Amino acid sequence: MRTKAVTLACAMLVVAATAWAHHSGAGVDRTKTVTITGVVKEFRWTNPHSWIDLEVPDAKGAPTVWSIEMNPPPYLVRSGWKASTLKSGDKVSVTLNPIRTGEPGGIFVSVTLADGRVLDGRGAGPAAPRPPAAQ
Amino acid sequence: MIRRTLVACSVAIVLAAAVVTAQGPAQPPAAQPTAALARANLAKPRPKAPFDLTGVWLHGGGADNSFRFSPPTGFKLTPAAQVHYDAARKAQAENKVYRDDIGQCWPAGVPLIMTRVWPITMMQYPTVIYMVSEFMNSLRVIYLDGRPHSDPDVVVPSWNGESIGQWEGDTLVVDTRFFVGHHHWVDSGIPASDAMHVVERIKLLSDGTTLQIDYELTDPKSWEGTWKYTKRWRRVEDRDIAEVSCLPDLNEHMPTTKSGANVR
Repeated sequence: MRTKAVTLACAMLVVAATAWAHHSGAGVDRTKTVTITGVVKEFRWTNPHSWIDLEVPDAKGAPTVWSIEMNPPPYLVRSGWKASTLKSGDKVSVTLNPIRTGEPGGIFVSVTLADGRVLDGRGAGPAAPRPPAAQ
Repeated sequence: MIRRTLVACSVAIVLAAAVVTAQGPAQPPAAQPTAALARANLAKPRPKAPFDLTGVWLHGGGADNSFRFSPPTGFKLTPAAQVHYDAARKAQAENKVYRDDIGQCWPAGVPLIMTRVWPITMMQYPTVIYMVSEFMNSLRVIYLDGRPHSDPDVVVPSWNGESIGQWEGDTLVVDTRFFVGHHHWVDSGIPASDAMHVVERIKLLSDGTTLQIDYELTDPKSWEGTWKYTKRWRRVEDRDIAEVSCLPDLNEHMPTTKSGANVR
């Protein structure tokens, strides 16, 4: 029973993670997460993807811009986001699934805001894809 | 002499003006009401349509309702298509992405545009169905007014093709052809050529809440035989579609589309 539940949860995650994309996600390692802390350079609230450019110091302290790809706003709203949630200059931590090539970027998983709130970006509203069992 | 010439010219001008006035200014020929939404076309008597697709639809997904149009078991590609297929499999084995043209802002096109997980608004009139996918606001037009397909030497190829629909009992049969044959894919590594021909048999099920389409895809430039699929959509009553555009400054910030993992 537990195996079934885990399998269903994984299937739901895969569907939710790929459903909104306007492109292939094969270049992203969905099995890994990376958490980076930096300063928001720009946050764009837009279709078909919202995105964050986060300036993060590299190993030598030099600023590196990470491109972080997000769901479109309707999904983010269901996860508690607003257009004003992030502003340039905000210091935040972002967890993401990294690009396999090692380039600084990946698919957004969650953010920890300066006030301690944690938001994901999957959305869970009525228009979200239904799990296979419900179809 | 000069005076006589001036008089003669004046008379000629007056006579010419009189002729033009009598005939009236040149008029363009009266427009024929052939457009799908021409009032006279809409007003023509037609049998009542068996169903009305007007609404918002979302592809359902699921194990028996894939978003993809994967090649069927035992499929055989043409040599030209096989090159792409092999390259795509090689890229996949290397965790790379082969020619993800949709990610680079090329239109998805029929059939893939129908199964993106973005809702499609459908508006049905007696003469035409307009489909607008929220995904890049792609427009698809299905004519129902009895017109034939266009002259192949005149029609402008497109990613969604030219669709002509006819009612057969409780089914709408849609014949689509005249596709763009570049940057157009049926599945990863499966190119759609300008010879692709798509037939859709559309039904409304479950008290109007489920849309089902049986697909038949042929493309003699890319594969042998006919590939068949059945897809389903559910009616969405709580969501409108929005403006969605793929813009140059979007992909500059998309790690997936700018990454070196993309094989062009």
